[in-house]
Amino acid sequence: MRPLQGLVLLGALAGIVAAAPGHATAQEPAGIFPFEYRRLDLDNGLRAYLIRAGAPGQIAYLSVVRTGARDEVEPGRTGYAHFFEHMMFRGTKKYPNYDGVTEKLGAFRNANTSNDRTAYYLVAGTEYLEQVMDLESDRFMNLDYSEEGFRTEAGAILGEYQQGAYSSYSILDRKVRETAFLKHTYRHSTIGLEADVRAMPEGYEYSRSFFHRFYRPENVVLVIAGDMDLDHTEALVHQYYDGWEPGYQAPAIQAEPEQTAKRTATVEYSGRTLPIVTYNWKAPAWSGTDKNAVAIEVLGRVAFGPNSDVYRKLVIQERRLQGLGAGFGLDRDPSVVSLNAMVSDPADVDAVESELEAAVALARDSLVDAKLLANTKSAMKYGFLMRLETAQNVAFALIQPIVNTGGIEAVNDYYRTLDAITAEDIRDAARTVLDDRGLTKVTLVQAERGS
Amino acid sequence: MKTIALVAALGLAGGVVSACSGGAPKGTIALSEPNSPFIAFDVWIKAGSQNDPVGKEGLALLTASLLSDGATQQDSYQSIVEKLYPMAAGYGASVDKEMTVFRGVVHKDNLDGYYTLFHNALLSPAFSEDDFNRVKAQLLNYDERARRFNRDEELSRELLYWMAYQGTPYAHPAEGYVESVRSITLQDVKDFYAKHYLRNNVVVGVGGGYPDGFVERVRADLDGLPTGTVETVAAPEPAMPRGVKVLIVEKQTDASAISMGFPIPLVRGDPDFTEMALVNSWFGEHRSSFSHLYQVIRERRGMNYGDYSYIEAFPRSYTTQERPVNYARRSNLFEIWIRPISGTGPDDLHDRTLFATRAAWRELAKLTDEGLPPDEVERARLYLHNFSVTYGSTVSRRLAYKVDDAFYGLGEPGYLASIRPGLEKLTPESVKGAIDRNLQPDNMWVVFITSNAEALKAKLLSGEATPIRYAAQQPPELLAEDEEIASFPIPVKAEDITIMPIAEVFEKGT
Repeated sequence: MRPLQGLVLLGALAGIVAAAPGHATAQEPAGIFPFEYRRLDLDNGLRAYLIRAGAPGQIAYLSVVRTGARDEVEPGRTGYAHFFEHMMFRGTKKYPNYDGVTEKLGAFRNANTSNDRTAYYLVAGTEYLEQVMDLESDRFMNLDYSEEGFRTEAGAILGEYQQGAYSSYSILDRKVRETAFLKHTYRHSTIGLEADVRAMPEGYEYSRSFFHRFYRPENVVLVIAGDMDLDHTEALVHQYYDGWEPGYQAPAIQAEPEQTAKRTATVEYSGRTLPIVTYNWKAPAWSGTDKNAVAIEVLGRVAFGPNSDVYRKLVIQERRLQGLGAGFGLDRDPSVVSLNAMVSDPADVDAVESELEAAVALARDSLVDAKLLANTKSAMKYGFLMRLETAQNVAFALIQPIVNTGGIEAVNDYYRTLDAITAEDIRDAARTVLDDRGLTKVTLVQAERGS
Repeated sequence: MKTIALVAALGLAGGVVSACSGGAPKGTIALSEPNSPFIAFDVWIKAGSQNDPVGKEGLALLTASLLSDGATQQDSYQSIVEKLYPMAAGYGASVDKEMTVFRGVVHKDNLDGYYTLFHNALLSPAFSEDDFNRVKAQLLNYDERARRFNRDEELSRELLYWMAYQGTPYAHPAEGYVESVRSITLQDVKDFYAKHYLRNNVVVGVGGGYPDGFVERVRADLDGLPTGTVETVAAPEPAMPRGVKVLIVEKQTDASAISMGFPIPLVRGDPDFTEMALVNSWFGEHRSSFSHLYQVIRERRGMNYGDYSYIEAFPRSYTTQERPVNYARRSNLFEIWIRPISGTGPDDLHDRTLFATRAAWRELAKLTDEGLPPDEVERARLYLHNFSVTYGSTVSRRLAYKVDDAFYGLGEPGYLASIRPGLEKLTPESVKGAIDRNLQPDNMWVVFITSNAEALKAKLLSGEATPIRYAAQQPPELLAEDEEIASFPIPVKAEDITIMPIAEVFEKGT
């Protein structure tokens, strides 16, 4: 409980100092992450990071709930993590009008939800730090909304569903998920299935249970980045969060059974589109320390990124693809990594597929060029560091490690692991992940009678 | 080694900020922030889609895209991509009605290598036939398919501008029409470059932690462009619609996109601008739940995801919460954006579509009628006082605001620094005056994208009430207000309603 006085500014604290619950731990820049920070582990399980970064006079306040669409295990309840994110703006007994309070602060605030998490953020002047903490801790502990408010908000969700529902990529994403996943909740998208979204007005009781099971301190990580006095902020965290009752109940998410044979599907689009071919391979969970997991993320860039041979040939030189995208970022649970290609000429789809499959085979059988590997590591590091210009962006850059591991220490781990990755590691990663038995190939084409 | 230097530099980020454009060479905007580890570029070519020749709409954009996404005389496009890659940096061009802007940010470790590429892209493009075919095919794919079939809400907003600016160089989208883009040749691009990329038509913006003498060097380099006669385009004078004019786009969909608006005689720097910024923030602040329209349509009635209004152009607003930069214009619309309205039961899509339209319209009528009470003015003033600090969140954005200041002829301290003093000065009376001079509810361009357009047209013409039902129990005051909304008059004549199939939208110029 007793805060460590002052920060260790220099020393041999290379990397992570494991903290026992109830302790504050001072950290100094010892890896890629360039800012001083302090970690607090409260007795109730809440973890908070206080980070001095960004412009004078501003703070970014981020609450990461490690619950997302992945946690929607009950049939008929897809989309609730996202729906619940909306309900968090509907007030408490103490602050019935959340919007009205944040309006006075002129705060830039919002929230978003994805497969693995729900993130709430607010950017405001440092002078409002205590008010912000009061407001945020209060809604996480004491959210209170009526059934009428709940039913009304369900209408907004349906509107949000409709915004992107007709895009070719939404339709393709749905098909990939339902083909690649038979049991795991990655089978559905964050916005949810249309039937479930339309049934939401009837789900009030379920939404309350969602709050009680998941919005608990053990499942939340707080990041306060910006210009602040660390001792004062630490005292405030205790003042406002120590009373939060633990009680997180982990959902029983079904593991996805191992895929043993290639799956293929085609989906028709009623609007106008060029064909889109996607290859999706089963992949392991994200890790900052596992060489194979990090190597898979590097593989996506070197084998299929804008500097790869196949990209140059098909996108730049021959222009047979409108674009080629490699989504090789991993998730909290084992998921898929994807290669997406929009084909310029519908008659060329088969030939393009042969080219892409040859590139996949090449990745499995050969070693990546040393310069490309070095440049890729540099691009990944600079890409991370260039994001850290504002307090808000510093906080956002930490969401992924927090979601996957519960802390930000994995950032330094990850880039340390990256440094050690060799061409052989990448080839080995290609051999494990780019395996036809774990492949789900889905193609989207324009329907014959496209409107 | 590089990484260590970078880490040390970033640790120092965010200290002293000393913005100065005094002392910089002519045609140059320098925003010095010596402690920043970044250098930002914002190079403004004073030509945009308004300079597209008739029949070649899309040319300004295609020209800029070929420069930002193509080879130079020194490097193939592949080689450029390869050189930028380890820096995790890039540059890109945005093209709006009046402006083409090349922007990029780089870490100071990598400035020399980066600047060489950026400089070559502007000064010595290769105009490679292969690159041209690639960027043209990408633009054409967007025009033929993605624009019309992916995001109806954005399409309805683009159509609103197209309607309101008919007969002016602002009418067509920067992306052009399907047929006009098809007709553009590489020679057209070369000609556009030769005509507009002139030393006397370029403003150089550089910001961040650049070294001494760097700004002068960039200016001197850009002075390597030829001089020439700058094409002047008269500012558009869009006509106020006479009454209500409606476009309904027919498309197979379960939800309606709705946009409405009219021209306003207002640009940044005008005497009414701060007042109107406050009024608009209160009425429809972008992506904000405080906005009045949002409260009425989404928060209380749960009809859609959000409802906003604008006094300056905000293209692709669905993609971001941040205000756009480098979209400066000499003419603006007052615009209301109602996000997609979905049907919730059999045959109620059009009733809900018109109910939401009427709700927004009625609020505008109330605003113009009653103005804003003093306590609401205070509320909005406090909000903007705090919120406007977030506009210039990065060096790149602060620099872009400075470039926009140059467009609007705003001297020091510039727009960002003048927001708070402007808010302090305004009064409830000056706010009312600005509303009276700029807003009105009687003349309106309206765009719907929906299914069964003929049925919507018939419903509009019938003048019948369009009530809605709720999933939740609603208080009696709200239901009483609903009755007024459901029958709020939209006085439109049959000849003022146009129906267009989706396949014809932006297919060709008129």
